[in-house]
Amino acid sequence: MSIPLSYYLTLSAILFAVGLCGALTRKNAIIVLMAIEIMFNAAILNLIVFWHYRFGASVTPQMFAIFAIAIAAAESTVGLALVIAVYRHYRSVDVDEMRSLKG
Amino acid sequence: MNTAFWIISIITVLGAVLAITLRNLVHCLLSLVVCFFGIAAHYFLLRAEFLGVAQILIYIGAVAVLILFAIMLTRHVTGMEGPRELGGKWWMGASTAGIIGVLLWWCVRREVLTAMWPSSEKAQGLVAVIGKALVSEWVVPFEALAVLLTAALVGAVVIALEEVVRKR
Repeated sequence: MSIPLSYYLTLSAILFAVGLCGALTRKNAIIVLMAIEIMFNAAILNLIVFWHYRFGASVTPQMFAIFAIAIAAAESTVGLALVIAVYRHYRSVDVDEMRSLKG
Repeated sequence: MNTAFWIISIITVLGAVLAITLRNLVHCLLSLVVCFFGIAAHYFLLRAEFLGVAQILIYIGAVAVLILFAIMLTRHVTGMEGPRELGGKWWMGASTAGIIGVLLWWCVRREVLTAMWPSSEKAQGLVAVIGKALVSEWVVPFEALAVLLTAALVGAVVIALEEVVRKR
């Protein structure tokens, strides 16, 4: 296996930037959540890459990744429930229209 | 191995880009699934088999279906092509993401990281090893995670049912 570590890190950085771009530019709250999932995946990919190249004998980094995946799943559950609650209230999932707290 | 890396990377990035640019929400979700599959394939390439299977089961099996439910519950017609759905001042968000991407890339180009790190031959994501670690050394965080997932489940139901409870 001859793939340099920096290739994986670059891929992860690209995925993170793409996710960030989606989270900041789209109006639909569901797409914002999907973009956040992409960012989560980029971060977890980094964990696994460093596990592979540096701590291959240890099981701890994989545990970190497993816990991160599970917590991301919990986050998306609650986030989508919030989106549905907001939709019931405003009849829309447009993040630009959710500004009741704006001063 | 190198060819596989490039093919999977291109598919992953394409899936991610399509997921945030397409207009139809269901098409976005399908592209996101492609992106998740690419990342799972990367885990297999990195010999983290358990993580790869967990990625497919959790992200594609659970999260993607959950998002599909949310799309169906918040749209009257699932195949509807919406209007241009960019937020106001979207160029500010896009340029912020671009700047952060360039910064990340600049960090990655440092000598420590571009030096040829040896691929660890010991890297083995054996399911048996991870299973034993989960019920011995990591049993307390594991149970805490179970409690967290239960709390998230109950919390999601409570949040989504709020309006119905109020009407009674």
